[in-house]
Amino acid sequence: MSSLSGKASTYKNQILKILSKTSKDIQASFHLNISNGLTVNCRSGELENIENQNDTGLSIEVFYNNRKGTASTNDLSLDSIEKTLSKASNIAKHTQADSCQGLPSESYIKEESGNLGIYFPVDIKMDEIIELTKSCEAAAFEKDDRIKNSEGSSFTKSENETMLLNSEGLFGYYKSTHYSLSCIVLANEGDSMERDYWYSSTREFNKLEHAREVGQRAASRASSRLNAKPISSRVCPVIFPPEVATSLIGNLLSGINGHSIYKKSSFLIDSLGKDIFPEFVCITENPNIPNAMGSRPFDDDGVLTQKKNIIEKGRLMTFLLDTYSARKLNEKCTGNGVITNITVESKKNKNANLIKMVDEGIIITEMMGSGANLLTGDYSRGAFGFYFKDGEIKYPVTGITVASNLTQMFNNILEIGSDVDFRGNIRTGSILVDNVTIGGT
Amino acid sequence: MKSIIETILAHNEISESKISQILSCSCPKGIDYSDVYFEYSSSESWSIEDGIVKNGTSIIDSGVGIRSISGEKTGFAYSNTFGLDNLLSAAKMSRSIASFGKEEPFSIRDKVNFKKLYSSSSPLEKVSDTVKVEFLKKIDSYIRKKDNLVDQVIVNLAASHTSMLVVNSDGMRAQDDRPLVRFNVMVILKKGKRRERGSAGGGGRFHYDEIFADEFSNKFADEAIRQARVNLDAVEAKAGMTTVVLGPGWPGVLLHEAIGHGLEGDFNRKKTSAYSNLIGQKVASSNCTIVDDGTISSRRGSLSVDDEGSPTEETVLIENGILKGYMQDKLNAKLMKTKSTGNGRRESYAHLPMPRMTNTFMMAGPDDPEEIISSVKNGIYAVNFSGGQVDITNGQFVFTASEAYLIENRKITSPIKGMTLIGNGPEILKKVSMIGNDLKLDDGVGTCGKDGQSVPVGVGQPTLKIDEITVGGTKV
Repeated sequence: MSSLSGKASTYKNQILKILSKTSKDIQASFHLNISNGLTVNCRSGELENIENQNDTGLSIEVFYNNRKGTASTNDLSLDSIEKTLSKASNIAKHTQADSCQGLPSESYIKEESGNLGIYFPVDIKMDEIIELTKSCEAAAFEKDDRIKNSEGSSFTKSENETMLLNSEGLFGYYKSTHYSLSCIVLANEGDSMERDYWYSSTREFNKLEHAREVGQRAASRASSRLNAKPISSRVCPVIFPPEVATSLIGNLLSGINGHSIYKKSSFLIDSLGKDIFPEFVCITENPNIPNAMGSRPFDDDGVLTQKKNIIEKGRLMTFLLDTYSARKLNEKCTGNGVITNITVESKKNKNANLIKMVDEGIIITEMMGSGANLLTGDYSRGAFGFYFKDGEIKYPVTGITVASNLTQMFNNILEIGSDVDFRGNIRTGSILVDNVTIGGT
Repeated sequence: MKSIIETILAHNEISESKISQILSCSCPKGIDYSDVYFEYSSSESWSIEDGIVKNGTSIIDSGVGIRSISGEKTGFAYSNTFGLDNLLSAAKMSRSIASFGKEEPFSIRDKVNFKKLYSSSSPLEKVSDTVKVEFLKKIDSYIRKKDNLVDQVIVNLAASHTSMLVVNSDGMRAQDDRPLVRFNVMVILKKGKRRERGSAGGGGRFHYDEIFADEFSNKFADEAIRQARVNLDAVEAKAGMTTVVLGPGWPGVLLHEAIGHGLEGDFNRKKTSAYSNLIGQKVASSNCTIVDDGTISSRRGSLSVDDEGSPTEETVLIENGILKGYMQDKLNAKLMKTKSTGNGRRESYAHLPMPRMTNTFMMAGPDDPEEIISSVKNGIYAVNFSGGQVDITNGQFVFTASEAYLIENRKITSPIKGMTLIGNGPEILKKVSMIGNDLKLDDGVGTCGKDGQSVPVGVGQPTLKIDEITVGGTKV
């Protein structure tokens, strides 16, 4: 069980006291975050930085006759909370009425959450952290003698508490931890200098990838980029490895978010119930996976998160709605005031080897820039990758662009790999997409 | 008159002698340098969408950041509260970066002298909330009346005020109050099944009254509609290498990405930049002179004094194609045996300072913009961009056009869909063959991200011709 920390319970009592004095004309919701952590950087075999993190933030939403005001502060004294509440109330007296505004009226959380499997506090000595971080970078230098410089290796840990309370009796609270270890190195050969990184990210310290492996993967990635060549423009199949494929799925999730839909600012506004992926593609949301980055008991409004099918046999089954956007669209709220864990799967072939499925193409290992237009789906981004032919990687390519339209890219998916990346909240394998335009020389 | 931060310190009984006590603690024998950064920042934003002013937000963030430097090592801790005990405990965490000796008595010797580039007062307090709401409603109805294809209008109004005080172990103290306002318009037009967006905005270190003036706000509203109109007729662009002419002003994001980041001191000290060790060498066409200037009055990227208490400067980065200097903060300047250029910036008290740009732009050249366009047989004319990114190590950078046209037979013809341009900084700067006489700075909406920290910046340039760059079109 995650019982309230001393700090959280003090703040809870203060907030309840303030709520008991608050006029019944207004509805108020209090969102509290407490976070403590540490970042340690080592570079060139030496300790470089230690940053201690220690944040408290309270955000208050007030609804007054269907008008909304928001105010936040990081000063949690009783006096400051009262001032913040009155600031939010004042704003709510100036904004305009909108009948969809208000606190959630159903499926909201009323008690502290049980064990979600995302809270694993651990005491690690500073010396041990520094050694771990140094060994990560050292492994990168040992792996390949073309690794000649580094931006260092970095370890972070944080312990977080989230609490939500409102004037209708809603109460939710949970704790979580997060650990990460990363390494950024530079490979150098002749005139070519390339940088790449690798990282591990978990809820439990002991589940972090081994420090030496993180360093070695960073080294292999950086040195594999050396002596990259330009390539001629073409339309060809493209493989997006998991860490890049997540951004395409992120574009889908933004496009079906209730706020994009009611604002009519999405390329997917008319897609509900339509086949937007090939039939073998399934995408689900599950808020309760132990040790997962996206696990959460309730969303930003305090509505219970739900397990759901988003894409079933290629078809879009639901938009992702929070309390406000659901009311706006006259639909039922799906608890998506947050996006939890998203899993992308192929129902076709669980062990497909994507590189062997097409004669030749490009593996895109890095994308740059913000060229996804979510209003039209038009897509154009800078990229780095590897040219492959006959099932083998031939050489790295640089200075290229990847362009298409998201609607077409979703439709042109040939297969999804089983090489799932579990480090973030979007869990997908590599995605092979046909007919993508590569801009080059 | 006392600044907000000084009033807060007085209220918390943090006198000069208490600050000295904190610095004695954060900078004992064995620590080279330490600073204590006090900040109180308030901000607000208001927006209208669907014709309703739906929400207003107010944010107060305040605290104290303490860092201790020993050689290349930095220890850092911060506190959300101003109590002496919390500050001393942050100072102890911070100094633990290195082995240290005895605490020594410390005293504040002097104030940093600098020229004020903007008003000290807060833009948040001068205007009532009713006036802000009425302004948003006025702009919304102005846009809806102006064009019958309007499908959605979103207008944002935001202001902030940061009151800071930094005291360092050299005995210097600097205090600055910084206003910042910003206004953004986004319009979606719908014609048949096609829907396209246009956006525009402006701002700077001044007050709301400048934004509320019709000639300011209507200009951006008109601009957003115009852009969306253009995009309704945009056709697909061809992928591959071509000649590109960039319009003046905001397209200067090219310089920010292609060269600016690569000339920040930290990357060059660590030799991770494609521009490391190139001082005195030719890195751009000989007609290119590029500066970073934090001293321009009232601009979004300007600062009277940086976050480490160094007055900002006009720093020449490239002069007639030759690399002249880097942008430095104190740590990197010291390690590279040079002086800070006033580029030490931090997002807030909870972040470490690092070398960051202020207003980065290319000086005007000799060419007539029309002649630049007519010198191109076939190519692209790009006038608006939505952002960019760079890999400072290999020099690859991208920037994404949101308004561009074909140049066919030396004339601007059809608009083309938004696309990303990719190039290599050191190579592209050598392919700048013509520079216009029409230097323009951007309208004041730029934000730069580095290592997870965002700071307001400015960019600018005259019309430029790049002989060859890769364009991310969809046609082959």
